[in-house]
Amino acid sequence: MKTTTIRDRDYKRNFVRRLMSGCLLFMPLAVHAASQTPTIKLFPTTVLEEIKHTGNVAAEMETGLQAVITRLDEQQNLYMESKCEGNEGDPGCEQIARQMGKSYLEMLTIMGDKLPEMETAVNSTSSSLEKRIRRELGQKKTSWSLQELLIGEQSESGNNADRPALRGRSGMRLSDRFHQYYQLVARSGGEVNSSLAVVASDIYLDMQETSSLIARTREEISRATLMEQLNQSFGTITPEMQEVVAGVKSILFGEEDALMPMTAPPASRPERGYESPLKL
Amino acid sequence: MNKSRTSIVTATLAVAAMATALTACNSNPPSATACSLPKGPDLDRAISAARFDLETGCEHQFDQYFQRLLTIAEGDPKKDNKASFSEFLIWANEEGLLSKRQARETYTRYFGVKYVSLVSDYSVCDQTCPRQDEVMQKMNRELVDKEQGLLKVSADRREYYRASRLFQETELVLEATCEACGPIE
Repeated sequence: MKTTTIRDRDYKRNFVRRLMSGCLLFMPLAVHAASQTPTIKLFPTTVLEEIKHTGNVAAEMETGLQAVITRLDEQQNLYMESKCEGNEGDPGCEQIARQMGKSYLEMLTIMGDKLPEMETAVNSTSSSLEKRIRRELGQKKTSWSLQELLIGEQSESGNNADRPALRGRSGMRLSDRFHQYYQLVARSGGEVNSSLAVVASDIYLDMQETSSLIARTREEISRATLMEQLNQSFGTITPEMQEVVAGVKSILFGEEDALMPMTAPPASRPERGYESPLKL
Repeated sequence: MNKSRTSIVTATLAVAAMATALTACNSNPPSATACSLPKGPDLDRAISAARFDLETGCEHQFDQYFQRLLTIAEGDPKKDNKASFSEFLIWANEEGLLSKRQARETYTRYFGVKYVSLVSDYSVCDQTCPRQDEVMQKMNRELVDKEQGLLKVSADRREYYRASRLFQETELVLEATCEACGPIE
């Protein structure tokens, strides 16, 4: 019996992915802000506070989800070890399937409970960043001076190890990623180059997408919950349900590690090359 | 009679002289011969040949000559090639083939990290966002030229990597900034 759809799966998976990638950017920002004075005012205290708050809300949600997902993992292992696949009529298997369904419902409930607060925080941060980006980058800069800002940050840093990861690189084990970010900032010391324009753009676009995903997820959660409640009557676990759980796991436990390079070389600063008097 | 004969000879000579003069006027070297693009693997020799042609009537083919020199340089990629092209462009400016701005932009387009496609006088919101797609397309084409100049001609991987990275960052920052600027009025 099909109770959830592929759309549900992709959708929640994307949502959690966005959520996590958003969280990951918060930590270095706070440390960067403390260690340097940006030449462009993209992250005043108010924006940082909003980002921090959004990070906290996301972290709470993550913690709640992680516990449920660990339980779902155990239940799924039990289901497989008990050779329940293809043996759905077995009373023991039905019981395990119902327990899995309950855990799945719990996951949906946690998301449903936390989403309104998350939505408010994300929208507020997004709005503040939007104003800052519009003023500092959109109105005060020409495309040439914007380029000079970006290239200036490149050459000052000497290497690219301290540059922030661009969008779409989430999926690494969460704790490892935080650890790497922390090391990145700690190693840079006073010469931190945060590439604020890039970080701000990255967060802002992520917030925009997250906001849209939250809105859509909230609409879908009640429907998915109802479907799963109906499913409880039949005690069946669906492939879609397993895929949703697998997707969330890959975000939290980093099963896609190999696909996600963290930072780019080179590590050393080569000699200065030829400088033409024509160079702009 | 003698007088008339003399007149005929004089007239004939005059016509012959005019014809010779006209032929001389048309005796600029045929373009197929004079403006033949340099050949061979030696960049310095090719640049000398190009200079000679460009200062003797082939200036209208400057772009083709420049492109041919790049192709020849690809056969022996090295960082010194940047200096050769820089000197060539400075010479072109001194000869009046290019303005200083054109020389700078051409050099930067192929051998610089920055993008001349981003040259502008007004704010990002006002000037760049309304034609964001066009700007990105221009940058993309310029990145291809930088690949030729920095990577294939100069073997400068680091600078090409920076240009490529700058392209990605500019794309991201422009996307966010134009989103923040709001809809175009």
